Amino acid sequence: MNTPYHLNRFVIADPGKCIGCRVCEIACSAAHSGETTPPTAGNVKNPVQSRLYLVRTAQGSVPVQCRHCEDAPCAAACPVFAITQRDGVIYVDEDLCIGCKTCVLACPFGAMKLVPVFENGQPVEQNLPLYSETEQAGEGNGDSDEYKQLYVASKCDLCLGLEEPACVANCPKHALQVISPENHLANRMHEAAVSLASVVRRYTS
Amino acid sequence: MTSAIISIDKELCTGCGQCREICPVDAISGTPDTPHEIDEAVCILCGQCVQICSGYDSPHDTFTTSRAERLERRGMLQTVQEPLFAAHYRGDIHRVIEALQKPDTFTIVQCAPAIRVAIGEEFGMSYGTLTPGKLSSALHALGFDRVYDTNFAADVTIMEEGSELIKRIKENGTLPMFTSCCPGWVKYMEDQHSDMLEHLSSCKSPQQMAGTLFKTYGAKIDKLDPSKIFSLAVMPCTCKKFEAERPEMNASGYQDVDLVITTRELAQLIKHFGIDFPALGDEDFDNPLGCYSGAGNIFGTTGGVMEAALRSACEILTGTPLPHLELEYVRGNEGVRKATINHEGVELNVAIVAGLQYVDGVLEQIRNGEADFHFIEVMCCPMGCVSGGGQPKVLLPVQRLEAHTGRKAGLYSHDESLAIRKSHENPQIKKLYKDFLGEPLGHEAHHLLHTDHSQNRRAL
Repeated sequence: MNTPYHLNRFVIADPGKCIGCRVCEIACSAAHSGETTPPTAGNVKNPVQSRLYLVRTAQGSVPVQCRHCEDAPCAAACPVFAITQRDGVIYVDEDLCIGCKTCVLACPFGAMKLVPVFENGQPVEQNLPLYSETEQAGEGNGDSDEYKQLYVASKCDLCLGLEEPACVANCPKHALQVISPENHLANRMHEAAVSLASVVRRYTS
Repeated sequence: MTSAIISIDKELCTGCGQCREICPVDAISGTPDTPHEIDEAVCILCGQCVQICSGYDSPHDTFTTSRAERLERRGMLQTVQEPLFAAHYRGDIHRVIEALQKPDTFTIVQCAPAIRVAIGEEFGMSYGTLTPGKLSSALHALGFDRVYDTNFAADVTIMEEGSELIKRIKENGTLPMFTSCCPGWVKYMEDQHSDMLEHLSSCKSPQQMAGTLFKTYGAKIDKLDPSKIFSLAVMPCTCKKFEAERPEMNASGYQDVDLVITTRELAQLIKHFGIDFPALGDEDFDNPLGCYSGAGNIFGTTGGVMEAALRSACEILTGTPLPHLELEYVRGNEGVRKATINHEGVELNVAIVAGLQYVDGVLEQIRNGEADFHFIEVMCCPMGCVSGGGQPKVLLPVQRLEAHTGRKAGLYSHDESLAIRKSHENPQIKKLYKDFLGEPLGHEAHHLLHTDHSQNRRAL
């Protein structure tokens, strides 16, 4: 897979083909749900959490997702080194994330988002108890039992381990594709060479 | 709560147009990126739009309607966790719970063949897992007094429809004869091709035959007052809700089928009551109206009604059984399949239509006198009832074919494993005719199990 350059791949959408159906979001959520059950609606316990976001503009609808930057500003900004370069993917280790949101500020594409964590349909709570006036006044039993839901940084991981990202595989209009920069360049150069060759041949003959 | 059976939630609709594309009768309109609308006068309630819709209630979007309100409006339980989509159908679970809790109500339930190869999916089982035993156990655990089966009535349908076909052939009646099990197809004929209604079999669908028999024959067996019976049907189909509510469907003296819920709604009900479906043991359906043949079971897939009918009709016509029961020539997934059956000097030309968008060409051929078919099966949905609008919703388009194929294979393997594979050999069917109905197409059968499509059309 890797060429000498090892440039990270990324997914882009063709706004001319995208119909804004959100199947990519559902496929993304299903692929990252950790469930091995058949993805029928009835098996979905957690809210649909996509790592790409369908954005509607006057120029058309397109999903936005991580570009897997070579010098990833999110990774450079992360104070706990939760974001790493891994097998051609800029990867967030959600277990390490402290939810500081620096990566959200650093990302120039808005591809990083802090999302609430669910398990089996139930919200996962933070370790830090919520402030309670009763507890502060020393009137409680010393154990506040209210907690805020846990949030972690989340973004596209190109479905690491799958043959093809789920969004690309499931788009009903084949509007999404994985761009491999080297192949892209080679194809563009080939096209340019073919067109140039025919022009030059006509010019010189 | 909305009263329309199928509707599109404007707040969730992205205007992607997938429903407009899949609708077999062009009942959905809308421009890109704006909410779409259903023309109720044209819609045949097949629910394919519900299956394809992917505009959902994302937690990252802000809506004016809360999830709780949306569930309430749709007649769904607040315990439902799954995402909600723009195209949806009317939920009716609350009325099931009410009926189950009423002390003086005798509850009877029937399940269509396609339920037993799909409901497991909603509990994490792979596509098409066959679970008739667990299904029966779950319904008993929910508290139904009788767990009967639509498959039994499918066998009755074969007795009636097969006899009707033989009668039409022998007496030079209107041919070709169309099946009438699919309520969306019947509605389409009434709405768009009312000049051809006499081609439809006069048989009611298995759901309605079952409903009528439960409140007559079934009531007699259990010495019940039929007015105390609540009859529920679990269907893979959204149009079955419409069929049960048709004003003429009251041959028993009461509304024959009181309520219809879908496969998905039954799964939600089972989850609501905390029943661990995969852990359930296997129980049988209750006798006598839960006894079925393999022929009745394959009604759930395209070509199944045809195959079941041929297994009985060919044998009854000639006195000789078909050499092989697996009629591969009527199986398949093409939009229109044609076959000629030669058996002991009898030649039958048949056709099978899977997907209502393919039927107009066939109707045109018949109108122009270019078709020499005797019998035609029509199902609205792409692979028949296994792919119906009320079946578990497959979220990823690339997996839809795999899911439908798996369910279909489940139905055929169930057929092969059953000892009785022809409707006319079902002992409880023989007993039903001997003790109660008399002859197929006889007076009692005609009154309870048949309907007059032209008259119904006028009444609409």
